[in-house]
Amino acid sequence: MTDRSPSESPLDTAREALRAFPPALSQEFESAVSVVEPILEADEFGHWIETGLHVARHSLRSWEAASEYFRSSGPMLEQVTYDRMREWCDVGVGLMDTSPALAGALFRASPQVLPHLAVNQATDWAAQGQSLYKGTWKSGSLSAQYFDVSPNVLPHLPLSQMRLLVELIDSLASHSYELASACLGMAPNVLGQLERSDRAPFLEFGGIVAHTAWVDARVYFERGPVALHQVNPDQRGRYLGLAGQVALKVGRLGHPYFIESAQALSEVERDLHEGLLELAEQLAPHSGDAAMEFLKSSPRVVQRLSIDDIARWQEFGLNILQQSVDGGEAFFRLESTRGEEVMEALSSRVDLDRVSELIRMYCKALTGIDVGIKSSEELASKGVGWVDESSPTTEGTTIYLPDMVERYASKEDNFSVYKVFATHQAGRLEFGSFEYEQSRTPQVFEPAANGQSGGNGAAPPQNGDGEAPGEIHTDMERFFDRFGDRRLAHDIFTIIEDTRIDTIVKREYAGVRRALNRLQQAAAERRRPIENMPARQAMVENLLRASLDDAGNIRWPTELADQLRTPLRILNRIRHEGATVEDSAAATQLLYDWVAQVPNVELETDDWSEFEDHSMAGEQDEGDTDLMPGSGSSGLEESFMPFMPGSEERPYDSPEPVDFRGDFKPELVQLLMKLKGETGTGDAPPIPLTKEQLQELLEKSVEISINELMDMDLAESSGMFLDNLLKEVNSIQGDRPEGQQAMGDDSTGADDGDELPVEAKSFYYDEWDFRAADYKPRWCRVQEQRGEVGDVSYYRETLHAHAQLVQETRKQFEMLRPELFRKIKRLTDGEDYDLDAVIEWYTEKIAGATTETKLFYRRNKVERDVAVAFLLDVSASTDEEIQKHQDRRQDDQFDDDPRKYLSWWAQRRAEAARHPGKRIIDLEKEAVVLLIEALEAIGDKYGVYGFSGYGRDNVEFFVYKDMDEPFGDRTKERIDKIAPVRSTRMGPAIRHCIWKLQNTDAKVKILMLLSDGRPQDHGYGRDRTEKEYAIHDTKMALTEARREGMVPFALTVDRAGHDYLKQMCQDMAYEVVADIESLPRRLPALYRRLTG
Amino acid sequence: MTTAAEPITEYRSWAVEEFRLEEEPYYVPVQDEVDIFQSAWNNKIPVLLKGPTGCGKTRFIEYMAYHLNRPLAVVRDGKAEIETESNLPLVTVACHEDLTASDLVGRYLLEGNETVWIDGPLTRAVKAGAICYLDEVVEARKDTTVLIHPLTDHRRILPVEKKSQLLQARDGFLLVISFNPGYQSALKDLKQSTRQRFVAIEFDYPPRETEAEIVRHESGCDPDIALNLAKMAEKIRNLREHGLAEGASTRLLIYAGRMITQGVSPRRACQVSIVWPLTDDGEIQRSIEEVVSSIFEE
Repeated sequence: MTDRSPSESPLDTAREALRAFPPALSQEFESAVSVVEPILEADEFGHWIETGLHVARHSLRSWEAASEYFRSSGPMLEQVTYDRMREWCDVGVGLMDTSPALAGALFRASPQVLPHLAVNQATDWAAQGQSLYKGTWKSGSLSAQYFDVSPNVLPHLPLSQMRLLVELIDSLASHSYELASACLGMAPNVLGQLERSDRAPFLEFGGIVAHTAWVDARVYFERGPVALHQVNPDQRGRYLGLAGQVALKVGRLGHPYFIESAQALSEVERDLHEGLLELAEQLAPHSGDAAMEFLKSSPRVVQRLSIDDIARWQEFGLNILQQSVDGGEAFFRLESTRGEEVMEALSSRVDLDRVSELIRMYCKALTGIDVGIKSSEELASKGVGWVDESSPTTEGTTIYLPDMVERYASKEDNFSVYKVFATHQAGRLEFGSFEYEQSRTPQVFEPAANGQSGGNGAAPPQNGDGEAPGEIHTDMERFFDRFGDRRLAHDIFTIIEDTRIDTIVKREYAGVRRALNRLQQAAAERRRPIENMPARQAMVENLLRASLDDAGNIRWPTELADQLRTPLRILNRIRHEGATVEDSAAATQLLYDWVAQVPNVELETDDWSEFEDHSMAGEQDEGDTDLMPGSGSSGLEESFMPFMPGSEERPYDSPEPVDFRGDFKPELVQLLMKLKGETGTGDAPPIPLTKEQLQELLEKSVEISINELMDMDLAESSGMFLDNLLKEVNSIQGDRPEGQQAMGDDSTGADDGDELPVEAKSFYYDEWDFRAADYKPRWCRVQEQRGEVGDVSYYRETLHAHAQLVQETRKQFEMLRPELFRKIKRLTDGEDYDLDAVIEWYTEKIAGATTETKLFYRRNKVERDVAVAFLLDVSASTDEEIQKHQDRRQDDQFDDDPRKYLSWWAQRRAEAARHPGKRIIDLEKEAVVLLIEALEAIGDKYGVYGFSGYGRDNVEFFVYKDMDEPFGDRTKERIDKIAPVRSTRMGPAIRHCIWKLQNTDAKVKILMLLSDGRPQDHGYGRDRTEKEYAIHDTKMALTEARREGMVPFALTVDRAGHDYLKQMCQDMAYEVVADIESLPRRLPALYRRLTG
Repeated sequence: MTTAAEPITEYRSWAVEEFRLEEEPYYVPVQDEVDIFQSAWNNKIPVLLKGPTGCGKTRFIEYMAYHLNRPLAVVRDGKAEIETESNLPLVTVACHEDLTASDLVGRYLLEGNETVWIDGPLTRAVKAGAICYLDEVVEARKDTTVLIHPLTDHRRILPVEKKSQLLQARDGFLLVISFNPGYQSALKDLKQSTRQRFVAIEFDYPPRETEAEIVRHESGCDPDIALNLAKMAEKIRNLREHGLAEGASTRLLIYAGRMITQGVSPRRACQVSIVWPLTDDGEIQRSIEEVVSSIFEE
């Protein structure tokens, strides 16, 4: 300690000076002195005091800053020398001129900031804080907040990157200080959640968000880190960079894209992120939307394509993008047909719904039965005994296949898997797996001794041969009744029957042999090791392996080789040509007797060797006599004795099923067939069956394990199962030729006879996106439903009201009735001479002129063969009264301003309610009535439909009269109920009409569209007011009709119709009926002109 | 068409009514159709052949024409004597929708400054006592039935309206018509009054083994191939009425067999001679091709 004068010590002076300030400062000073004084040299101490006083005296409230200065001095000096601290604090003192509050905040934060910064960084640090200060109170507190959070931010962020945060906050502050402050407050926590390397990119992107969509900033701070965590850690920086690049282009959408794409990426394996991001980065310069849509679509794309193929797909899309941004974006949004096609072409996966029709025809060809093809999932969901959702199977009328196959790298190979699946199942139908009859004798086996076998079984007695009427037991069931262990018998029968089918398939269909071999081999390789199976199970497993034509895969103890040889011979005999399902049954009986005698215990031997199977090498087998158990080697059971360590019998487990063969439930199928009344033996009527009887039947069957069906208690689930089963039986009895309407496009069923409120049938149609110049695949769902039934009197009254007109049109139309023959003259050859021509010819000849020799005529038959579909616009606007409708035309601006339109509309409605007048729809209806009368006179085929709806998922399509439906009271009643509904999405309705016409046989097909305004619907265009999109789609739909050889004709009662009809129809015919009232007269006349 | 000797078929021409088959056409009877036809001819009862296309109706009629014998009158030195027995001439008319009665009966043609009457094929057959085979008769115009009716009952008369003549058919004359009930629409059905003048023989594709034998004989292909072709046809015929108007005909199978004999791979041969001729529908084509590729390995 140096000497200092006691009276004039700086300390006393300071104490004196501090009295001028609030006492809190003095207290702070005193406690600081006690810490600081012992550490500092005298001159340092003096300087320290002076600095403090300087700060305190600076301005009115600067004592607060001084107080902070004093308080933080001690902690700072613990970390640095006074010289350093002085240097540091000078920066703070420098801030005094800006704002004492800032300086105070700086001093306050200093002790905690010091560990993170070098002293010479202080200036920079302070300058950043200072940059937030704009001289206002709010900016001051924000700036102060900066210093306050610095201790918490700096551990996460080097000072150099702090700038990013400050810029971000500064940018936000220009919009909202509250937001900026909130974000700044969140910063430490947010940054803490991020990896070190991600922080700068995070802030950079944040800066862009703050710039382009500042309101999203808070959400970004709240959810950004979580979103980012969904991305592969190595790729997050890259992702943020991409998001920033995109955000700069797309503005407000940037942040939602960031969140959504990250979400999408989370559904994709992380290893793929790098590749996907790279591809997205290539897109970003062309279109930010495309890049992000690409990422958003990636989960679905990844399911179908490998990363290399995705690159090819992206390249294709990129090409489109370069030509048309809209097209490219639709492509990556998966809303373009081309995108689908390219993906389909690149993907090796085969989807059932793409090939089901093909396979259905294939199976129909093979079996001659009207089989349907459905997804296995569907059968499983019926809950009638099948539970596996992915393996092929059949219940006798439909072949069920997995939804998709993606086993191999090429489409051809995957399709061949389907083909093998289908061929095997079709084989079961074609070669009679379900047609087992006890009374038929086997062809290659000796008929089994009729009676019980497997002496150990407690088989129930048989019912004899005479089948009582109403007999509910199936032959298959009775066959299994013979065996004590039903499961074992069923397993053996399955193996044998599958072997038989596979063998026949290979023999009959040489072309599938290769694919079948491949699947057999794959199945064989997947078998579980046999070595620790108990003996009986091992034997069954070996039989199954043998059935896969893979003898090399059979493992069996050498010592017991003899015990396996005969069973294998039995199995292989089923391969003989001419073997029937009865042979399979006979073989099952023989094999069962063998296998059941094999004790199901673990064998004590290590000698599981490959088994050499001679019988497969084409060795002659000699008769049945030695196929009986125990023959040859006496006492089957005894031969196992030496290998049994006296352990217990283990419960028998069925072998793992073979994938390409799928489920085989002959007993259940026979039962189902019987219930449906289609037994192989004849047309026995369906058998009514009580639930109890059914239950009894099913309880013993091993093909159903009820508890597998549902997680319920047994009684409940079995009850449910029975209900399902009965329902299934009844439903199939209801509509028998089920196969025809296998999937998707249902034909309009014949179920309209009894007018139950039929559920709407759904149809999907593409929609034309003119911006992308491509179709959006399966975009609209058309819901076809019957029109409501009203009263027949409307029709009668309309006819009455227009009696005169009806008369006229009828007459006109009757005149249209085709003359059957039309004479064509001047032909070189024909039926006969045309006398006029001959005379002329002869005269000229005599006169010496050379004349032509076209002297024949022919009568050509003209047949009128016209079908017409009328499509009525029943959108809400047809509710308008005619008078009003015309008024509206005078102030047409409503069409352009939807907001005004609404209030106007409400007003109109109110008025309309007061003065009900004739509405557009009434005239449409009248016109239809008249036309129907006319059409009935002429005999053309016709259908009357209406359409409306809301949104692409719900295009309502009403059938008032179908093409092939005869005209009757029903039609009249439905016409009564034609009523305005909702919007006008024309495209899909037209497409559905095209489909209807396609299924109608006629030479001339006409599609007549009757509307009252332009097409518009929710989502039918960029927004409700956009007209282009809807018009282009409608135009495309009409063009499609033309392409199909139909004659589209648009008719509108909208006087403003010319402008858009011209665009919609271009070179097609259309008409604007100016005088709406004349519609009923005009429509028939037009039709006549169109077809005359 | 002729079944003339193998090596080279020279250009030859016959008058319509003089065409005779010189060699026995190959035909495998499936049922008793030969006997039935023989009895009908003996009794001058016209015959209606029903059956799908390419199942052998035409071949059958050729076979019958060859086998139905009739004494041939030869005039020598001013005196008629019966010399040989000869097979029947066969006049075949493929009917189409513009075929009118005058196409069948005959017409006047201009020659120089005169008109000359030319007999139509039916008139010639009536005069020559030939078998007149109207193939796909429902296709023809309705006025042809005016001719058919008097010819097919006891009168056996052909009215030649334009010449104001009636022609009585010579012995041996027999009207045979064919039609395929499968694909004609209801409009084109035969009228009852027409139908009920004929005995009908129904044809269908022969059973697998027989068809295989026919294919083998006609195409000279390997018996296994022939059997596979027949099997395949059986499968394809299962698709009749379900997308396919008609099943694969025996004729197409023979074409396929011949292609294969020429060294075309079976799958390709089936494609060009069966799948593509059968249908234009892509989906059905593929379905059939799958059947083909299941049956043939390459």
